[in-house]
Amino acid sequence: MPASNRYDAIVIGGGHNGLVHAAYLARAGRKVLVLERRPRVGGAAVTEEVFPGFKFSMFSYVVSLLRPEIIRDLDLPRHGLHILPLESTLTPMENGDYLAAWADHDETRRELYRHSPRDAEAYDLYGRLMHHMAHAVKPILGMVPPDPTSLSPRDLLGLLRLGRHFRGLGGERFHALVKLMTMSSADYLDEWFETDVLKATKAASGIIGTFLGPRSPGTAYVLLHHYMGELDGVFRAWGFAKGGTGAVSEAIASAARGFGAEIRCDAAVARVIVKNGRATGVVLENGDELAARVVVSSLDPRRTFLQLLDGNELPDEFVADIRRFKFRGSSGKVNLALSALPSFSCMPGVGRHHRGAVSISPSLAYVERAYDDAKYGEFSRRPYMDIVFPSVIDPGMAPPGKHVMSIFVQYAPYQLNGGWSDAKREAFGDAVVDTVEQFAPGFKSLILHRQVLTPADIERITGLTEGNIFAGELALHQLFFLRPAPGWAKFRTPVRGYYQCGSGTHPGGGIMGASGRLAALAVLGDGR
Amino acid sequence: MNAPPGRFDAVVIGAGVNGLVAARYLARTGRRVLVVEPGRDAHQSAEIGWVPPQLVRELGLGAQLRVEQLDPWITAPLQDGGRLELWRDPAKSAEAIGRISPSDGQKWPEFCARMRRLASVLEALYVQPPPDVETREVGELLRLAGLGLRVRRLGKQAIVDLLRVLPMSVAELLDDWFESDALKGVLGALGVWHLKQGPRGGGTAFNFLHHHVGCPLGVFRPHRSNVKELLLALPGVEVRQGSAVTLVRGGRATGVALGPAGDAIEAPLVVSGADPRTTFEPLARELDAEFIRAIRNIRGRGVVARGTLRPNHPPDFSTLCLAPSLEYLERAYDDAKYGRNSAHPYVEARAVNGQLELHVQYALAADRTLPERVAAALGGPAQAAQVTLEAPEHLYHGDLTLDQILFMRPVPGWSRYRTPVEGLYLCGPGTHPGGGIAGAAGRNAARVILKDAKRS
Repeated sequence: MPASNRYDAIVIGGGHNGLVHAAYLARAGRKVLVLERRPRVGGAAVTEEVFPGFKFSMFSYVVSLLRPEIIRDLDLPRHGLHILPLESTLTPMENGDYLAAWADHDETRRELYRHSPRDAEAYDLYGRLMHHMAHAVKPILGMVPPDPTSLSPRDLLGLLRLGRHFRGLGGERFHALVKLMTMSSADYLDEWFETDVLKATKAASGIIGTFLGPRSPGTAYVLLHHYMGELDGVFRAWGFAKGGTGAVSEAIASAARGFGAEIRCDAAVARVIVKNGRATGVVLENGDELAARVVVSSLDPRRTFLQLLDGNELPDEFVADIRRFKFRGSSGKVNLALSALPSFSCMPGVGRHHRGAVSISPSLAYVERAYDDAKYGEFSRRPYMDIVFPSVIDPGMAPPGKHVMSIFVQYAPYQLNGGWSDAKREAFGDAVVDTVEQFAPGFKSLILHRQVLTPADIERITGLTEGNIFAGELALHQLFFLRPAPGWAKFRTPVRGYYQCGSGTHPGGGIMGASGRLAALAVLGDGR
Repeated sequence: MNAPPGRFDAVVIGAGVNGLVAARYLARTGRRVLVVEPGRDAHQSAEIGWVPPQLVRELGLGAQLRVEQLDPWITAPLQDGGRLELWRDPAKSAEAIGRISPSDGQKWPEFCARMRRLASVLEALYVQPPPDVETREVGELLRLAGLGLRVRRLGKQAIVDLLRVLPMSVAELLDDWFESDALKGVLGALGVWHLKQGPRGGGTAFNFLHHHVGCPLGVFRPHRSNVKELLLALPGVEVRQGSAVTLVRGGRATGVALGPAGDAIEAPLVVSGADPRTTFEPLARELDAEFIRAIRNIRGRGVVARGTLRPNHPPDFSTLCLAPSLEYLERAYDDAKYGRNSAHPYVEARAVNGQLELHVQYALAADRTLPERVAAALGGPAQAAQVTLEAPEHLYHGDLTLDQILFMRPVPGWSRYRTPVEGLYLCGPGTHPGGGIAGAAGRNAARVILKDAKRS
């Protein structure tokens, strides 16, 4: 085998975690190759000119939780990363009123007061507690999960440290954390607020990417995410990337290349080569073989273990655990090219609210009903939607005077009754635009082009199993030392020299990059 | 009866099994104990739930305790005629299940063993006060370590099972194991038992295990016993009818006001087996705002209507379960979610002396048409007139959801039967380990009370 084909590490998949991983390995002096199946890097964080002149963050559309240490270590701003704040949220209500949250805290409070003086009071207390909670949880995102079943001194120490961390929170915060981890977002919010539309809008952020409704226990935890993004003061980690989310991937790729990593696109990996229980390289779909001391998969657990490996390389029990790991994609995306910005009847005309998000979550019952449809295998007739207009903040995304509109839609179950078809996709797209039309009459006449992405499409294009945007459901029993399988949450796998670094590992989900970084530290720590 | 209001050493509010157990433990130490029961059914015959063996031993109930042993323990009609019967003998159940799904039948023994092991962990946790995870006391830390070791001894598989299963939905748990709708319906029903959640709700796997506690291998319904009858017959405890409100002076309990007249009964110790919300609401002005807020935030949502039906023919089953699938249960819950009684409720009917005792879920309010729907589900409108249902009440004094168990029950920071009012303790199902367990809370509470008394 020629020397040029030999690497210290081959990273399968050029999504943001794969790229972060490669960048950290290259930074430590390793000879790294990233193999991406598609013509461009980014995975689900890509910007594409879907229609001439109209660019879209095709899948993932806001940058949330990108770890500040990654931004710092990889010096991403120098590689072109520029985050534009996303400042407001407007929720149109069915009675023609609205609820708005603005960048200015006092203004938000006044708006809330209009709905309920009591809630305006509670809002500050709630915000403070959530802020503290976010602080409490944050260190966990940067921690390799200890294995509670292991008796090794390292794991026991890790558990002890974790225990001490929680005890350090004090009673009130510890209890609040237990509640957040176990309650439904609706129940949790019921303890604080009375305004239904406020609870619906907050709860909606707790269901994104899950196959759960606002009344399902386990959804409260995600309420924290919003507050975590706000912690990273200096660099706003919650917003748009200039140039779309693809720009985040490009910046990380550029940093990785800067450290000497090689990135190859249009290079799909067929399988991982395992000899005598150790990974020694990969075979590409075109038949080429590449050798490496370490192979790292950033793909989701099902692909990492059941597709890239021969089943008999793995212990049966582990295979059973991976098969049990739940994906259940539940969301879709509709990308629209518009001739002009729509006018919402609750706040007519074009205004600053177009610079923020518009949340179609008029009531808890509305969102819960949307879930009911999905529970029984249908897409929501009236879905929950999170709408943004990236071209308002970043005019380069659309031709002058025109706009792009990004609609995140839930629920669209991967396992649709009768399966997804072209007709079903269009019916789903119709349900989305018809629902928007109810809140913004005349909106449909502004649509120039429409791209509808179902979970089946997300799977086909990005490779994410069942179209799950987090590479595996973020449910309590699939987090921390259980992600992706008990005993294998530390980025290693039962095959020596084979590692995992995607969102299907701890802490997973969102454009965080934490999995990629922690996995790199694990690989380097093993001296590979 | 009508003894003049005198002095007691302790007043216990509520003659539920937990109140009676607490009263009995206190009386054993020579204290003069009065039990006040606001309801009518102090003499209700059968109590549902595990009676911890420690309690049976310590109160000397062993000889007379009768625990019902139904066999088959459940019967479920199948969609295409026929029925599924599950037996006390797992092998016999496996055979019955195997007739509708060979693969499910094969997995049954292993499933039963795994669930039994997990329930045994809960059993150990339930016969003592909840672990105090914030403690800095050496004794408590040792106890925690002991619990940890106990769990470890069960092996790696059990630890993983426990951590993985507890937050799950019972639907996910069952889907991992089985394919038969009928079997999953029967088992899933236990996961939502007395809970305003559908089988897809997280934490319902815990509720399932909670109700498996104390059951023999392969039996997934809590059993009935005559424990309450036995407790009422024990000497040394006086029981009176009437509502009771705790009297508080200077942050200390001084007795109770006994309704309806409001006669004061003095006692330095008040133990409430009543719902924490009704216990503390009258005292709201005396209490810390945060505490009362936490009490008011307890979710205890009654979803079960109980009643009776007099069948035209003698029943040919011991317990009939009408929950043909997980989806059926989920749809029944959907109605409740939006504030309605289930159009097609989950019904369980137990044959008791020729009558059927009914458990109807989800019922949020008395509803004239509900009995008709129940009768229809049980085999035809001809029996409609004979169904009587009581308005739903919440027997558990707080839902058994993950945020309301162990050290979070009844409210965070006050999980060890003590309250902010000195001399006032809780001992009901609203405290650890909660409803569906007969007497564990009462016994745990009494032990804490006696320990405190020794200290002061």
